[in-house]
Amino acid sequence: MQQFIDFIIRKKNVLVYFLLLSISLSLIFKTNFFQKSKIIIFSNSTANYFNEMFNNLNGYFNLKRVNSELANENLFLKNQLENIINKKQLDSLDNAIFKYQNAKVISNSLSSLKNYLIIDKGLKHGLENEMGIISSKGIVGIINNTTKNYSSVMSVLNVDTKINAKVKRTSHFGTLEWDGLSSENLLLNDIPETAEIKVGDSIITGGMSLIFPEGINIGVVSEIIKKKNRKDTITNFVINDQVKIAKIQFKENYLNIVVKLHTDMNNLNIVYVIESLNKEEFKNIKK
Amino acid sequence: MASTFLLVFKRFIFLVLLQVLIFNKFDLFGIYDPYICLVFILTFPVKTSKISFMVVAFAFGFTLDLFSNSLGLNTTACLTVAYLRSYIMSFIFGGFFDPLGLKLIKNYVSDSSFSQKILYVSSIILIHHFILFSLEAFSLKHMPTVMHKTLITYLLSGFFCTTLIYIMIGNEK
Repeated sequence: MQQFIDFIIRKKNVLVYFLLLSISLSLIFKTNFFQKSKIIIFSNSTANYFNEMFNNLNGYFNLKRVNSELANENLFLKNQLENIINKKQLDSLDNAIFKYQNAKVISNSLSSLKNYLIIDKGLKHGLENEMGIISSKGIVGIINNTTKNYSSVMSVLNVDTKINAKVKRTSHFGTLEWDGLSSENLLLNDIPETAEIKVGDSIITGGMSLIFPEGINIGVVSEIIKKKNRKDTITNFVINDQVKIAKIQFKENYLNIVVKLHTDMNNLNIVYVIESLNKEEFKNIKK
Repeated sequence: MASTFLLVFKRFIFLVLLQVLIFNKFDLFGIYDPYICLVFILTFPVKTSKISFMVVAFAFGFTLDLFSNSLGLNTTACLTVAYLRSYIMSFIFGGFFDPLGLKLIKNYVSDSSFSQKILYVSSIILIHHFILFSLEAFSLKHMPTVMHKTLITYLLSGFFCTTLIYIMIGNEK
């Protein structure tokens, strides 16, 4: 017993370190003990409250820019409306599939590898997980968590975000990811080398899910990198009862496309939440 | 003792506010924020016991996390750096380092050589950033990105921390 107490006294620094370390690690990985604990709720609400306060103050400096952006968007929408009125008869069969709501960004991080935005609408306003967020210029992110009054949005600048996108001119589909190194550029992967992509092509959402409708602007191609992935596979063949080893060379060449975002992630203020009205139906057929 | 407590308390509040209000919104070159909060760890009085240093560093990181919505990341990084600081100091300053803390940080700034100061600041900042970013990414796939970010943020933090230390070290008691 004496030895044990001596040991504790001798190693007290290390023991305290590991005790505190285990507390902080369990905070990160949100283990059972902390899962529903008050700490996380308190932390989220403090951060949100604090950011909202700061944002209110900051908002005045952006008013001029926001005003001109809204005026531009208004003009664009008016032109679209004109087209619709001239061309199409209203029909009860083509109902809207997507519904839009506006929201205000109260906090936006860029410096992390997993960036999140917080917007000022939540469960109270009918927001749920996996709803898309866009700005007037292009896509912003996907909702990943909602509380009563706030929602957290997984930004496109998050190394875990994967968004289905396509090249507008050639209709080739690919996956949009972030490499974590620039707040302006994303990478479009999985597009075969045979696709004739040029610098300056516009990239839009693919519409393969109900998160984003098809055809929302993402950005333009700013650089094309050719990546060579040669896979050599050794296969056994049996020809005339003799085993022969053949080396087959696969060429799987994909393009790595650097896409410059339309949305300026530094200056986000008003965003739109996209709610899909057919979500339940889509889920039912997927079962 | 009371004056040390007051000094630490003042720095705690000042550096948290500086980091959260100004430097977290910096976004230099788009995505890099300097971590000026490390001045707190770098200039923490040497004479306080290691356990209280670790507890205070834990609280410091936790407060930063509360305001930046990243629960646990800053806490782990600050705590580990606080635990390692005495080893780093005795390794870099050698015989000049006294664990009893009769010397103030002021003495370390004025009496050590240039390379010792650079090594001390660099090693603490690099360890902190590496822990912070690798825990954040939490996969080996993103290791190149983590290294890249650690290096560039290190250059920024190093510059700002050194400047702030030279400005504020005068009032140490």
